[in-house]
Amino acid sequence: MGDFGEVVAHCSWIEMMSLSPIEIVEPAVGESSEVKHDQPWIVIVWNDPINLMSYVSFVLQKLFGYSKEKADKLMLEVHHQGRAVVSAGNRERAEFDVFRLHGHGLWATMEKDSSS
Amino acid sequence: MSEVVHAFLGRPDLKQVEIRLDNESREVLLELVKQFRSMLIDDSDQSLQRLYPPAYLKDSELNDEYDDLVHDDLLKEKLESIDVLETTIWLESIELEDFFAWMLVINSLRLILGTRLNVSEEDEFDFGQIHNPEQTLFIWLAVLLEEAVTASNFSLEDFNKT
Repeated sequence: MGDFGEVVAHCSWIEMMSLSPIEIVEPAVGESSEVKHDQPWIVIVWNDPINLMSYVSFVLQKLFGYSKEKADKLMLEVHHQGRAVVSAGNRERAEFDVFRLHGHGLWATMEKDSSS
Repeated sequence: MSEVVHAFLGRPDLKQVEIRLDNESREVLLELVKQFRSMLIDDSDQSLQRLYPPAYLKDSELNDEYDDLVHDDLLKEKLESIDVLETTIWLESIELEDFFAWMLVINSLRLILGTRLNVSEEDEFDFGQIHNPEQTLFIWLAVLLEEAVTASNFSLEDFNKT
């Protein structure tokens, strides 16, 4: 297997690039992302240090059709609280959502909703 | 003043994304996806586990069932995304669906590199302090993905309508 690092051994141009700062909006204390989960299974997205915040929000909008505002709230809940419930439904639906999230590289799990 | 040249530019009117990478950048991406495909097919690198996370944290039996069910499909999706990137790498603009495949590949590469680098929340990468080539790649891919999200944001209105 190759070494990814070797690819940039002669790419001095990469050093000329810079990261754009990511604007973070702090959520209000106790603010809820308002994902209703009165269904037997919930889908949880977990915080991870690799996925970009903008990408997580993008994926939540793309997969679930959430507004940017709602997706950003969920993304920030993931970032600050470590996890967020992003969808709910029967087991098959939840498993399908987890599969789609995994396909997009998000760390997602599912479990029975203990609050229902 | 120098003008900032973005890697990607969304074209909502055409439902396409312009690829503004220079040839060297495209060649780097091609080399990366070539290695990525080999890794996926070989399926022995530990960092690949990040691409197949568990669905059930508290039930290993259910998780094994899930993994048996979806592993090949997830693998197939990734290989297809690599194919799309390879076949469209030299185009000046590509269809939105193909661009989504680019995003999946770029993010997968970041996940693998980030896992190898043991990236944590506390890590703050800065080009001025980077010496490891894999770290340089990791940041470069972050720049690309950030720009890819911006360039394809126009697509989300359509998704929200459905």
